[in-house]
Amino acid sequence: MIEFRNVKKSYPNGTVALKGVNLHIDDGEFVFIVGHSGAGKSTLMKLLLCEEKATSGNIIVGQYNLTTTPNRRIPHYRRQLGVVFQDFRLLPNMTVYENVAFAMRVVGTPSKMIKRRVPAILNTVNLSDKHSAFPHELSGGEQQRVALARALANNPSVIIADEPTGNIDPQMSLEIMNLLVKINKLGKTVIVVTHEQSLVDYYKQRVIRIQDGLVIDDYVGGMFNETV
Amino acid sequence: MRRYNLFYFIGEALKSLKRNGVMTFASIAVLLSCLLVISGFSLLVLNIDVNLEKLGTLNEIVVFCQPDATEEEIDAVEAAIHKLDNVDTVTHSTKAEQLKQLKEEDPDLYGDITAEENPLSDSFAIKYKDNDKVSTLDYELKQIEGVRKVRNSLDLSNKIEGIKQSIMIVFFWFLAILFVVSIFIIINTIKIAVLNRKKEISIMRYIGATAWFIILPFIFEGIIMGTVAGLASFFIVKFGYSAIVNGAGEDLAMLSFVGFSDISTYVLLGVLAIGILTGVIGSSISLSKYLKD
Ligand SMILES: Nc1ncnc2c1ncn2[C@@H]1O[C@H](COP(=O)(O)OP(=O)(O)OP(=O)(O)O)[C@@H](O)[C@H]1O
Ligand SMILES: [Mg+2]
Repeated sequence: MIEFRNVKKSYPNGTVALKGVNLHIDDGEFVFIVGHSGAGKSTLMKLLLCEEKATSGNIIVGQYNLTTTPNRRIPHYRRQLGVVFQDFRLLPNMTVYENVAFAMRVVGTPSKMIKRRVPAILNTVNLSDKHSAFPHELSGGEQQRVALARALANNPSVIIADEPTGNIDPQMSLEIMNLLVKINKLGKTVIVVTHEQSLVDYYKQRVIRIQDGLVIDDYVGGMFNETV
Repeated sequence: MRRYNLFYFIGEALKSLKRNGVMTFASIAVLLSCLLVISGFSLLVLNIDVNLEKLGTLNEIVVFCQPDATEEEIDAVEAAIHKLDNVDTVTHSTKAEQLKQLKEEDPDLYGDITAEENPLSDSFAIKYKDNDKVSTLDYELKQIEGVRKVRNSLDLSNKIEGIKQSIMIVFFWFLAILFVVSIFIIINTIKIAVLNRKKEISIMRYIGATAWFIILPFIFEGIIMGTVAGLASFFIVKFGYSAIVNGAGEDLAMLSFVGFSDISTYVLLGVLAIGILTGVIGSSISLSKYLKD
């Protein structure tokens, strides 16, 4: 369960990015977050990732209240999240396999377990045949699938994707979205920030619209709305 | 920390050290010179001390009686000496013994002198307990009746002590500067290493790596640099010292040198400890930002 209670966020330069957001996302939901550029979508994601602290209000994720979680607990909190970024953020000097294995090693997974699990995850994102390729040898869509595999590596309960299809071709985008839906069907909560109207319409999932730092719409069933 | 992580940390540290080859080399070189200066000076001071102790006369006062003193008079002087506070041991050397020794050393020069002609005096070599009260003792000895002369080596021993202190001061400042330079260079090496891995670090944070997990490879970099510098300086000192002792042994036969095997363990532990400590301090300083959360 993810809950935002009257969350406000101002940046040190004075920009007020969120002006009192209230949200409730249940375990296992699939949610699109949409809105204009500068609406505060990425800020919302950064708060969820504890990359930024809320100025006021409460954010509750599972048993963690992010406003009171001490810094040293944050790494443990982050292990239940899997993150995907628009720019992939793969390590260029590691192969596909190593990029995924790296995520597991970082949290202290035994090598035996890594060897067993990585191929299975690469299979989930349909990349088994590319395991020894380097990121620069892959298409944007493939790179994003590696990023998705890495996000899944530590079996998180929530997947957060901030414009995962922003840098890739439309067909590839569809494949990434399909994978995210598939992952959602496996029982994980999936939150996707996107600008792609057609995809949002197509999937007919819950849509949360943010504008000027506030939730202005929250409904199920696509129809992106003409304002975007 | 789990065992397989240790290999990971060391592996990451080695990779990063290799990637920053030039900086790594510079750090190790500066740290190495620092350790060489420490070991060199320590060995120098140690050898000075050993040789001073061997000379022995430096903490000794010698009292001479009148050349024509009778046995009773000499005994009285000895008794008076024993009564003084600061006196530890007293060694009596008769003028007959002294003459005998001289005759053995140089029969040509002293061979003809008969016991009646003996111009020498009975003497007492005194070891004292408290260095600080030597001048008092010196004065008291001069007051004893039948004492012709009191010879002490206070001036010399003060001079040597002074030289030793100046060496120590120069040594200290030289060392302090080298240390600051070493730490500064290590800080920069680690900072560059962190910059090189910025992307990796940001990904590690998102994935949920703990601060320690992120930091330890860099600390290990410091430890490895310290260890390499420590071991290198140990071997340089080992061979350099033997070479100097062998070379000087002929010219300065009257000096005795501490054998390297007697102190090698201390040298090794010393340079390793200082090297590793410097490495850890340097890397910790450049990582303090990450250690906070
Ligand atoms: N680190 C920051 N410091 C200062 N202001 C910031 C910072 N990050 C974002 N902002 C500001 O906060 C507001 C919301 O930004 P945010 O990145 O959340 O928007 P967004 O909805 O993700 O936009 P986009 O669709 O363009 O990615 C914007 O006005 C932005 O300029
Ligand atoms: Mg954004």
